[in-house]
Amino acid sequence: MTGQRKITEITVTWFCWLSGLLLLAALVILVGYLIRRGGPVLGLSLLFGDTPPLDALLLRKHVFDGLYPALAGTLLLIIGAMVLAIPLGIASGIYMAEYAGGRTKAVFSLLFDILAGIPSIVVGLAGLSITIFLHRIFGERIMPCLLISCLALAYLVLPYLIRTTQVALESIDPVVRRTAPALGASRLQNIGRVLLPHSLPAIIGGIILATGRCAEDTAVIMLTGAVASAGIPRSLLDQYEALPFYIYYISAQYTSPDELATGFGAALLLLLLCSALLVLALVLQRRLTIFLLYR
Amino acid sequence: MGDRMVFREHLFRSAAVICGLLTLAIFCFLCVLGLPLLQDGHLLSLLSSPWAPARGLYGIFPMLLASILLALLSLALGFPVSLGCSLLITALAPRRLRMLLIGMIRLMAGIPTVVYSFAALFLLVPLMRTLIGRGSGLSLLTAAPVLALLIVPTMVIFFVAGFEKVNRAHLLALDALGGSRVQKIIHILLPGARPALINGTLLGFGRAMGDTMVSLMLAGNSTAVPSSLADSARTLPAHIALVMASDFDSMEFTSIFACGLLLYLVTGLLMLLMRLPGRSPDNES
Amino acid sequence: MKRSQTGVLLGLLCMTIGFLYPGMPLQAADDLAPFTGLKGSLRIAGGTAHIPVMKEAARRIMSFNPDIRISIAGGGSGLGIRQAGEGLIDIGNAGRRPTDTEIAKYNLKLFQWAIDGVGVIVHPDNPVRTLTSAQLQGIFAGRISNWKEVGGVDREIDIYTRDESSGTRKVFWKKALARGTISDRANVVVSNGAMKTTVAGDPFGIGYISIGYMDATVAPVSLDGVAPDLANVRNGSYRVARGLYSLTRGEPAGLARAFVDFLFSPTGQQIVQDKGLIPVR
Repeated sequence: MTGQRKITEITVTWFCWLSGLLLLAALVILVGYLIRRGGPVLGLSLLFGDTPPLDALLLRKHVFDGLYPALAGTLLLIIGAMVLAIPLGIASGIYMAEYAGGRTKAVFSLLFDILAGIPSIVVGLAGLSITIFLHRIFGERIMPCLLISCLALAYLVLPYLIRTTQVALESIDPVVRRTAPALGASRLQNIGRVLLPHSLPAIIGGIILATGRCAEDTAVIMLTGAVASAGIPRSLLDQYEALPFYIYYISAQYTSPDELATGFGAALLLLLLCSALLVLALVLQRRLTIFLLYR
Repeated sequence: MGDRMVFREHLFRSAAVICGLLTLAIFCFLCVLGLPLLQDGHLLSLLSSPWAPARGLYGIFPMLLASILLALLSLALGFPVSLGCSLLITALAPRRLRMLLIGMIRLMAGIPTVVYSFAALFLLVPLMRTLIGRGSGLSLLTAAPVLALLIVPTMVIFFVAGFEKVNRAHLLALDALGGSRVQKIIHILLPGARPALINGTLLGFGRAMGDTMVSLMLAGNSTAVPSSLADSARTLPAHIALVMASDFDSMEFTSIFACGLLLYLVTGLLMLLMRLPGRSPDNES
Repeated sequence: MKRSQTGVLLGLLCMTIGFLYPGMPLQAADDLAPFTGLKGSLRIAGGTAHIPVMKEAARRIMSFNPDIRISIAGGGSGLGIRQAGEGLIDIGNAGRRPTDTEIAKYNLKLFQWAIDGVGVIVHPDNPVRTLTSAQLQGIFAGRISNWKEVGGVDREIDIYTRDESSGTRKVFWKKALARGTISDRANVVVSNGAMKTTVAGDPFGIGYISIGYMDATVAPVSLDGVAPDLANVRNGSYRVARGLYSLTRGEPAGLARAFVDFLFSPTGQQIVQDKGLIPVR
């Protein structure tokens, strides 16, 4: 082995390990700090304040000093946005990978990359302006609300879903891809029975990415209906609280150490929520793959 | 049966067309709402003048500059780390560590921007205030590492996916020839995964340009042209968030749409540049 | 005779409600009575100086009647005026009087329920506790850039200001800075609360907030020898003062009406006072 090559070997290896270590350190510092500051306040009172948890859960009483409304708001946002985005995103991804070709594909590809680049604040701006436009036409009922936020968030995560679906399908081994058609399966059967199950882990990876984006996005929701204090939304047309917005709000406006501690609690809670989603998706992923491959 | 199949295939196409149209719709939307600005011939002054609504100046040059600076800075910090980490995952780490790292990256992809900024506000800002020795600690230099941390998972996930797509046969061939892991990286993985590297970097840059919370909470939001990286500055997204509250029919509000349009165009231009002949990610896959 | 009967009845009602809600003063129950049987949601947004009072009022009302949802958002006075005018929210808050154009354009009804001052603040460790108008204008314009020029340490001054939508900024700019320039090097924060926490965290910062927000985490700076406190605002010697307004498009009705009335009730005005503002009644 020549000296120069050896140096390259060592540099590249060190560089990679250092990068990994750096990320790990950053993560440990972040999580450690959040746990140290937010850990002590974790508990039922963080969620429900002085309100009895059962009354709060059954919506009999409002929660004032707790994060329950914000947590509920965030969950509703995620569900709403994903319900809207997943079918559209995955269908588009399938089209991109399996049907589109040549110039059509290039044009769509460009459009989706641009879509991915549109900053969430611009999406929020669009959401707000469209709301105002609708409000001027249809009157009082249309206002910034949960529904508008879900729509805007769905729009925001579309490219993540499209791209991961497309990449997942395109990266399938050609042998796998050609087997079923050779045995007489139609294109659609091939997609439904072979290609999709085969690329499911990657697609779910994309969905996780998108879910995380929904849970965390603050810029869109602060323009389209998230407020500092609202309680649990009773309909899609209500304003709502959300964890990320609450954290942003507290970071700037805390008036006492207690409130700041709640902010850290919220940050930790949001972190836990995202991790829980992740674990859930991973468990689902293994089962789903097996289920779809062997049915 | 056949009808149903055709119908489903149409569904896929319609979905893609809808998504594509949505992309264009927002462009038209920004254009129409920003139109008054273009009609009044404010375009040039918009890009060159400072932001001083009290004096009738609605220039967004400082914000544009700050946005680009911040995105490049965070990419400069984030790209090497992403590359190193994704190579570590793909080629160097033992299996167990590999799973751990993948888990870590996925977890990081889920960590909210606002949580990063929130923690940085209490950890990094006081530190930067001491290090820089002047100013409030809210600066481009404070926001950049946080933004880098934010875009790293996105990039790593794309990079790893790209590396895994690289032809296995080549890797096995190199193994058979007795090649080292590093040779594998340099000669097979890196060239083979170039489209994915570009794709991931694109998304990372787009996300860095478009992120609101990090710069809004950590960069200081002053409207001056930043003269150094240690200065407080306002990015385009933060500008939109801050000016959002003005009157709908005012020039301030109209100028926000110009900001949005600018962000949109920068992104679009970037995507086109990356598609110059021979570099198109889709042709190679 | 009739009046005393009503009084007795009201008293009984109060006692009943007081019994149902132990710990609640009778007066409060009385002022909350109009919310009995009301339903639905009320949207409030705008000025951030208003938020502590709004939150407390909402809390009392929603505890009294859980069928009512009151959502409260910030965004600044400009947003409050605009969104109330557009009908996007039911009540908009503003820390400045809307312009006559705004009032006419949106047919706004104004309710001024408190008086507030806008005071300059610095970090408690900062020795500078008094500034002249000229010095203050110099600092915010960027002409005075070091604390030692006004008797402090040798360190650059970090200026903090508010976004353009802010009523606090408008009032401060008009009355304390005499419409002078605000340096574009100033850091911009988006609310009174944010201003307070930021200046409390920056030993070399200077900013301005609603007097209602002042506490021990920041130090008030006297302007031309007059301290920014409630007493001085009340007697007129501190001139950077303003009314806090709530606005509705047209005459408020239903829940919005009840809410505005509650702000003017003895309980509402007590909340105003508790939150460090000057009640109007």
